Amino acid sequence: MIYLIFVIFLGGAALTWLSGKIHPILRDVVFLASLIVPSVLFYMNVEVGQTVSFSLIGYKLSWGINYLGYLFSYIVVGLGVLAGFYAIPAMKGKKNLGFFYSNFVLSIMSMLGILFSRDLISFFIFWEIMTWSSYLMVVFQGKDVQKVGIKYFVFSAIGAYAMLMAIVIIYSLNQSMMISDLVSSFASFDPTMQWLIPILLLVGFGVKSAMMPLHVWASGSYSHAPMAYTSIFSGALSKMGIYGMVIVMVSLVPIIPEGFWLRETIAWLGAITAVGGTLWAVAQDDAKKLLAYSSVAQLGYIIVGVAVGTPLAMLAALFMAVMHGLFKGALFMVTGAVERQTGTSNFTEVTGLIRKMPWTFLAALMSIIALAGIPPLGGFVGKWMLYESLIGSSHYILVIVIFFSSTAAFLYCYKFLFGFFLGQEEKEWAHVKEAPAMMVVPMLLLAFGTFVLGAFPGLILDPINAGMQEMGFASTQGKYWEMSMLFNEWGDQIMLQPILYAIIAVFAFFAIFLTIKGFKKTRYVTTKDISSSGEVPLEHENLTFSVNFFQPFLRTVEPLMKRQIDKYYNEFGRGMEALFDFTRRVYTGNGQTYALYAVIFIVILLMFKNTLFGL
Amino acid sequence: MELTLNILGAIATIVLAFIVGMSYGGIVRKITARIHNRMGPPWYQNFIDAFKLIGKTTAINHGIMQHFGPAFVMVSSIVSLMFIPILNNGGWFTNLNFDGDLIFLIYIMVFGPLGMALGAGQTGNPNSAIGVTRGLSQMVGFEIPWVMALVALMIQFDTTSVTGLMEAQHETGRWMMFTSPFAFIAAVLAMLGMFRYSPFDIVGAPTELASGPVSENGGKYLFTMMSSGSIFAFVKLTLYVDLFMGGADNLIILVLKTFALYMVPVLYGIVSPRYRTEQSIKFFWGWPTFFGFIAILYAVFV
Repeated sequence: MIYLIFVIFLGGAALTWLSGKIHPILRDVVFLASLIVPSVLFYMNVEVGQTVSFSLIGYKLSWGINYLGYLFSYIVVGLGVLAGFYAIPAMKGKKNLGFFYSNFVLSIMSMLGILFSRDLISFFIFWEIMTWSSYLMVVFQGKDVQKVGIKYFVFSAIGAYAMLMAIVIIYSLNQSMMISDLVSSFASFDPTMQWLIPILLLVGFGVKSAMMPLHVWASGSYSHAPMAYTSIFSGALSKMGIYGMVIVMVSLVPIIPEGFWLRETIAWLGAITAVGGTLWAVAQDDAKKLLAYSSVAQLGYIIVGVAVGTPLAMLAALFMAVMHGLFKGALFMVTGAVERQTGTSNFTEVTGLIRKMPWTFLAALMSIIALAGIPPLGGFVGKWMLYESLIGSSHYILVIVIFFSSTAAFLYCYKFLFGFFLGQEEKEWAHVKEAPAMMVVPMLLLAFGTFVLGAFPGLILDPINAGMQEMGFASTQGKYWEMSMLFNEWGDQIMLQPILYAIIAVFAFFAIFLTIKGFKKTRYVTTKDISSSGEVPLEHENLTFSVNFFQPFLRTVEPLMKRQIDKYYNEFGRGMEALFDFTRRVYTGNGQTYALYAVIFIVILLMFKNTLFGL
Repeated sequence: MELTLNILGAIATIVLAFIVGMSYGGIVRKITARIHNRMGPPWYQNFIDAFKLIGKTTAINHGIMQHFGPAFVMVSSIVSLMFIPILNNGGWFTNLNFDGDLIFLIYIMVFGPLGMALGAGQTGNPNSAIGVTRGLSQMVGFEIPWVMALVALMIQFDTTSVTGLMEAQHETGRWMMFTSPFAFIAAVLAMLGMFRYSPFDIVGAPTELASGPVSENGGKYLFTMMSSGSIFAFVKLTLYVDLFMGGADNLIILVLKTFALYMVPVLYGIVSPRYRTEQSIKFFWGWPTFFGFIAILYAVFV
C-alpha cells in the first residue's frame, strides 16, 4: 500500500504533464486526482508503525510512518490538497501549467516521502526531490532568476552538502543507514563526531526552516514562487526543516555532553531570526515580501520552542507549526487572490478592497488575528504555551526578545489588512470583483481551522502528544493541556471555552446594540465623505495613506536593521569573485606564459630540492 | 441559578467599572482645567456626554468594519474586566478570575486597539490611519518594560496568574511595590504610555490628527468607544492595584488606591508637551527598559 501511494503520486505527476497536452480540463482533473487519491489511501490504509523495506544497490531502505510523521502529514496533505484546489483558478491562463502541476504533485510526494523515510538514504533522496521541485517553482515565473533562484539554489546546496556529509560520517561510524540505529548508537560515538553530526544536520534543516544566518533565500523565494505554491512552500515545506530539527534536538542533542550550549545557541538564533524577520516584514511594501519575512519570523518562534525542548516548549513549537501552516497558507492564498483580481500585490498601489472582496477579507482577518496571537483564535494557544515554557525554563531574556518580536508583529499585521482592504477606495479599483469560490473556500477553511483550534486545541495537541511520547517524553495530557484547557508548569490555567463564550457574548451584545435602529437606517458614505479637519475633500484629492506607513517606528529601530547578514554574504561573494578573477588571470591562454610557468616551476623545484625531497 | 447569579455579578462589575471610569474621566477634566486656571466642566460631565451620544441618531456609516469596530473595542475592555480580580475576596465580582492569567490579559488587551484600528481604517480618514500606526508603534515601546515587570513578578513568585500574585502578597503581608520595587518602577513608567496622556498622546493628538482613530465616529459608535475607554482605564488601574498594591478589601479602598495611581499619568501629562512617535518609543526603550532588566535580575538573584 505504501508503494502504491508513491507510485500514484509519481504516475500522477507524469500524467498531469502529459494530459495537459490533450486538454486543460483533463489536466486539472488528473492533477486533483493525483493529490486526493493517494491522500485518501494514506489516511484509510496506512497505520502508524507499519513499515516496508527493500534493498537498493546493497543498502536496506525502509519506509513507514510514525506518530511524529503522522502529525506533520496533516500539515502536508491538508494544506497540499487545499492549495491544489486553490491553484486551479489561481493559475488559470498561465503558461507551462503542466510543468507547474506536476512539480506541485512531486513536492507533496517528496514531503510525504520525508515523513515516511526511516533510513537516511531515502530521507536524503526525498529531500533533494523536494528541494528541486521547489527550486523549479521559484524560477517558474522567470523573474530575477539570477538573483533569487541562485540564492535559493546556493543555500539549498549548502544544506544538502552538509546533510550528505553528516550521512556519510554516520555510515562510516555506524555501518547502518537506519535512523533508529543512529539514535541508539549515538552515545558511543566520540565527542567530536557527537558535535559534528548534529551541527551538520542542523545546517541542512536550518536552511529549509529559514534559520538565521541561513535565511537570506527565504524572502525572495517565497515571494517569487506563484502564490498557489508559496502557501505550501511556506506553510508545509518549511516544516520539513522543523521536522528534522525536532528529531535532532530530541534524539541526538540531549546525548551530547555539554549539549546544553548547542540548544541555547539554536534558541538564540531562533529568537534573532524572529526579531529580524519581524522588523524586515514591517519595512516591506509588498504583501508577498511582508508575508515572506513574517514566515521567517514565525519559524523563528518554532525554532525557539524546539531548541528549548522542555515538554511544554515542544508542545508549543509543534502546535505553532500546525497553526503556521493554517494561517500562513491562508494569507498567501489571500495575497494570490488579490494579485489575481487586481494585478498587483503592492500596498502602495492597491487599497480599499473590503467591499469588493469581503470573503477574502474575512479569511485575511481571521488569519491575521491568529498570526498576531490574539485570543480566541488558535495562534494565542501556541504563543501562550511558548511564553509559559520560556518563563518556566528560566529563559527570561529570551522571553522578552520573543515578546518584542510578537508585539512588533502587530504592526505588519495591521499593514497587511489596511494595505489591501481598508483605507481610501480608489476609482482605479472600482471594477475589482471577489475571487472565484474555488479560491475563497480553501482560505476560509484554513481560517476556520484556526478558530476551531483556538477553542479546542486538544484536537491537535493529542497527535502532538502521541508524537512526543514516541520520542520519549512523558504524556503531557492532563499535565499541560486538556481538550480546551491549558496549564503551565506552575499549574496556572487557561480555560479556553469560557473565554470564547465571553468574547462571543460581549461582541454579540454590542453588535446588536450598534445595529438595532441603526445600520439599516444609516446611509453608507464613501471614503471621501469624511471630516478632514473640517474641510470636505474634493473628488480628485488623494487621501490614500500607504507610503512610509511605519516610518517613525522604522526610524527608531534603524540601528537594529543596519546589520544585515545578506550584506556580509554579498561581500563574501564579491571577495570570492575577485579571487576567481585572479585565478582566471593565471590562465592567459598564451603558450609562452605557460612555458614561463613551467620554467618557474622547475626553477622552484631545483631551488628547494633539498628541503622537498631530502636530497 | 448559578449562571444567572454569575451573569448578574458580571453586570454589576461592568456597571461599577463604567461608573468609576466615567467619574475618573470627569474628575481628570476638572483637575486639568484647574491646573490650566480654568473653571472646567463639572465632574459628571462625562455622563452627560455619554447619554447625549446614546440619544443621538446615527445617519451614516462607513461600512461593516467601521460599524463593528466599537464592538471589538468593547470586547477587549469587558473580557479583560472579567478576568481581573476586583476585590481581594472576590465575592460578587469573581467572574472569570481563575480562568486566565497575565499573559492572556496582555493579549486580550490588544484585541480592542486592533479592532479599533480596523474600524478606523475603513473610514478612509488618513488621520485615523496615521493615529493607528502611531498607536501600534508606541505599543511596541511600552509593552517591553511592562512585560519585563510582569516577568519579574512571575519568576519571583512562581506563578503567572493574577490571583496567585495577590495571594503571594497576602502571605508575605507586603505590597509588591515594596518587595519588587524595580518592577513597580518599570510598570509605572510603562503605564504613562498605556494611558496615553501627554507626553504620549500621539495617537489622538488633537491638534495634529483631529483625535485620530475615533474621528468619523459619532452617536452610538462614539458612546461605545467612550464607555469602553472608561472601563478599560478602570481595568488597567485595578490590575496595577492588584499586582503592586495588595489589591483592595472593599470598594472604597479600591477607589482610593486606583485614584492615587491614576494621578501619576494624569499629573505627569498635564505639565508635559507632546512627544514625537520616535521620541516616545525611545523613551520606553530607555530608562523603563533598564529598570525592567534590573527587576528581572533582582527577581532572579535576590
